[in-house]
Amino acid sequence: MGRLGEFELLVLLSILRQRAAPYANRVRDDLEANADRRVTRGALYRTIDRLCEKGLLEWELEPSETPDRGGHPMRRLLVTAEGLEAVERTRDVLQRFMRGLDPVLGPALEEGLDA
Amino acid sequence: MTTPPRLAERLVRYAYRHDAALPAILGDLLEEFHWRAAESGPAAARAWYTREAISLACSSAWSSARASLLRPSTSTPMSRSAALRQDVRWSVRSLRRSPGFALLTALVIGLGVGATTAVFSVLRPLLIAPLPFGDPHELVWIANVTDDEGSLSGVTSRTSNLMDFRERSRTLDGITAINAFSAQQSYTLDADGRVEKLNGFGVAPDFFDVLEVRLAHGRSFNEEESTFDGPAAMVLSHAFWRQRFGGDPAVVGSTVTLNGGPAQVIGVLPSTFDFASVFTPGQSVDFLTLWEISDRTDAWGNTVHMVGRLRDGATADAAQSDLDAIVSALQAEQPDRWGLAADVTPLHAKISAPVRSGLLLLAAAAVTVLMIVCVNVSNMLLARMPGRMREIAIRKAMGAPRRRIMRQLVVESTLIGLAGSVVGAALAWGATRLVSATAGIRVPLLDQVAVDGVALLFAAVVATLVGVLVGLLPALRASEGGEAVLIRGGSRTATATLGARRLRESLVVAEVALATVLLVAGGLLVRSFQQVMSVDLGFDPEGAVAWQLNPTQQFASHAEVVAWHEAVEARIAALPGISSVGMIDGLPLGRNRSWGFDVVGWDEEANTGIGLYPHIVSPGYVDAMGTPLVAGRHLERFDDAASYRAVLINESAATDMFGSPDAALGQELDLWHDTPWRIVGVVGDVLHVSPESGAGTQVYFTLAQMADYAGMELVVRSTRALDETVSAVGAAMVEVDPSLPTDGFWTLEERVATAVSARRFLLQVLGAFGGSALLLAGMGIYGVLAYTVAERSSEIGIRMALGASSSTVLVSVVRRTLALAGIGLGVGVAVSVLASGTLRSLLFGVGPGDPATYLVTGSTLLAVAALAGLVPAMRAARISGVRALQSD
Repeated sequence: MGRLGEFELLVLLSILRQRAAPYANRVRDDLEANADRRVTRGALYRTIDRLCEKGLLEWELEPSETPDRGGHPMRRLLVTAEGLEAVERTRDVLQRFMRGLDPVLGPALEEGLDA
Repeated sequence: MTTPPRLAERLVRYAYRHDAALPAILGDLLEEFHWRAAESGPAAARAWYTREAISLACSSAWSSARASLLRPSTSTPMSRSAALRQDVRWSVRSLRRSPGFALLTALVIGLGVGATTAVFSVLRPLLIAPLPFGDPHELVWIANVTDDEGSLSGVTSRTSNLMDFRERSRTLDGITAINAFSAQQSYTLDADGRVEKLNGFGVAPDFFDVLEVRLAHGRSFNEEESTFDGPAAMVLSHAFWRQRFGGDPAVVGSTVTLNGGPAQVIGVLPSTFDFASVFTPGQSVDFLTLWEISDRTDAWGNTVHMVGRLRDGATADAAQSDLDAIVSALQAEQPDRWGLAADVTPLHAKISAPVRSGLLLLAAAAVTVLMIVCVNVSNMLLARMPGRMREIAIRKAMGAPRRRIMRQLVVESTLIGLAGSVVGAALAWGATRLVSATAGIRVPLLDQVAVDGVALLFAAVVATLVGVLVGLLPALRASEGGEAVLIRGGSRTATATLGARRLRESLVVAEVALATVLLVAGGLLVRSFQQVMSVDLGFDPEGAVAWQLNPTQQFASHAEVVAWHEAVEARIAALPGISSVGMIDGLPLGRNRSWGFDVVGWDEEANTGIGLYPHIVSPGYVDAMGTPLVAGRHLERFDDAASYRAVLINESAATDMFGSPDAALGQELDLWHDTPWRIVGVVGDVLHVSPESGAGTQVYFTLAQMADYAGMELVVRSTRALDETVSAVGAAMVEVDPSLPTDGFWTLEERVATAVSARRFLLQVLGAFGGSALLLAGMGIYGVLAYTVAERSSEIGIRMALGASSSTVLVSVVRRTLALAGIGLGVGVAVSVLASGTLRSLLFGVGPGDPATYLVTGSTLLAVAALAGLVPAMRAARISGVRALQSD
């Protein structure tokens, strides 16, 4: 099992943040709005494919009634148990390394982190 | 509901055809597309979709390319795709070994692809893409007659023709009209406390219905607004609406003050339909207003251009015969009726006609550049062959089939070609941005020129073709025999080298020949441009500034109008530093009209078919323009309503009609069977329509005696700097009329520049192409000779060791260069002589066989060739005999 790249981690986290509506467009909007980076659609799709190959993500097609989608289905993105595990592991590592660095980095921003 | 561009959608479908998520991806795109369409309009959303599709396709291609390159190939025999992958991998590796070479070839290909893509983008809206109307192929242009090219009145029609055609035609579903003389109308808008001069164009009430234009906002003219007696209504152009009202939809329905009266803004044109770029290239149109179709407008003569919509299944030819029959029937019913004729052309052909031959020339030139590029790159690849022969020979010896080796070489050049397409697309993007941003060029639909998805696809296809094509020749040569010698490490076999050199030399000859053709065409256009610019326009544009005058007040009588204009003129003439001032209803190189007239005392036959171009002027005008008085006297202040009717006539018309300028004095012209007009003076010819067409018959009336003008243009000549003159004159104008807009001024030099803009545009593009061709030909010659010298260094070394002097060697290389260039030049000149006849319609003042052009082209090419050959020649002359022998 490979390690998670930063963007892969962000994508997984964003999918988890969407809770009831984990769809690609929303993930992209979320990343652009809150991760402060420009996300091309192609990069997002490629990352989704890669995460699926690694077994961290699954998706299923879901019919959509939204008229704007012209009858095209939506892709519901589901983080697998392995994916969750990978995220947790990365979080633990990050936390371990962050610990005690407040004097150097300054205190973390609290607002918005519990979304 | 708006839909995304079909081609872009297809691209996405193709790129993700193996991906199970394709339906969801399409859905994602569509969802954002609709959101964007609602947010920033359908055009922006479509552009976004195209960009997104291209980026997705690149991304998908990139990941599959990566995947296939990383995948280890183990199976033998290899599958086709595995073999291709391996070819790609080898090619990438081989190109990475010589990055300089790869970059240079990609740049050269990029130049050719860029040129063709840019020209394709300019041509597409004009010659290929549909006009921005519903079912545009059904639209036809109906002119009056076509043989009278000089005058606008000769091709426009009376509204009675329109009304009768509408009623009787069985091939046309609808006929609408544009008032051809709208440019002579002047409009002053007074809104939000700002006064400004606008350009409006009159159209028939059903204009938007017949053309099937869906307005961006608002509505078309209603019943009440369809007559001049009804409330005034304006449909704003999209650009003007954005610029003046900030794109506020609320302006629709509001009332503004136009020419002192109320006018309601009823609609806004869609952004896709720029009226000016379709119907009046080079002018700007801020809004459309009503042109009434009635007996009243019919009485004003030939005023409209007609646009008709063909009934389902009808053709332009059918409409022509239909209208011909109607014309004959009407003429039989009303023998006195004049101006009855109809000439039908498809609208698209009509709009592109004036620039068609120029654009086709550009297309031909771009293709020539591309051919030169192909030849050049082929040659570069060939020159590189011997260095790679050993590698290829080893692979052959180890059992690689001939086809496989050929394929690898073609794959390699195709990769270079694709890299070139990136360069080309960037070049084309820059070039078209430059072109579409250039205002005042009289080329229709120029605003729609852009490098979009289709153009990018075009660039990619052209680049791929070029890549395959240029790779074929070296591939064929490389796969031929001779491997044993090469592996052994011996340098070359004499016959193979000779054959290869011959091939490369013939390519250089072809390149020089193609460059010659381009340079001759460019040279002829340069000479034509010089001729046009040196034409005596009959007036002096230098240092003259002009304004359109739009009095905002209402006048009770013509006398008041005259008094107002005289007051303005007098006020400005009194300013310090103003050397002369005058007024005319239409300055030269702007507009055009014509009136019929008779010479008093001539019989009916002699008087048939003469039209005059009327100018209504203030007495100071002729002098202010610097036009010479040839005979008689100027118009004077005393030529007023109370005096006899006095006119001036131009010199060539006076000579043509009466034998000499002096003989014209005292002759009388009858305009509308009332009091005749007496010729009191003869002035020099002025080229009013364009520098390329003749003066025709021009008659000058004073504004005091002739009331038939829509507005006046003021021309001022001064000894002060332009900005001083402008502010002083502006201040003087406001003193007479406080609400007079003063911002719309231009210099006569600008007017002349606009008149020759299409020609200049053609010349600039062709110049760029010619320059590239020359550069490429020089590179080709240099490459071949440098290579030949390197290849023959041992032979040259032996010769030098045997006593040949450096100068003998130098001369022999230069002689070879000139021989190659000479043959190429000969072929090129022969082709040019045969083909230059097709340029005739674009030339002015020079023949297609102009010796000076050929001479300059020939000597330029030879000089470039000699220069390109000099470096290798000098290198050859420095070869040391001993060193050359040692190295072998």
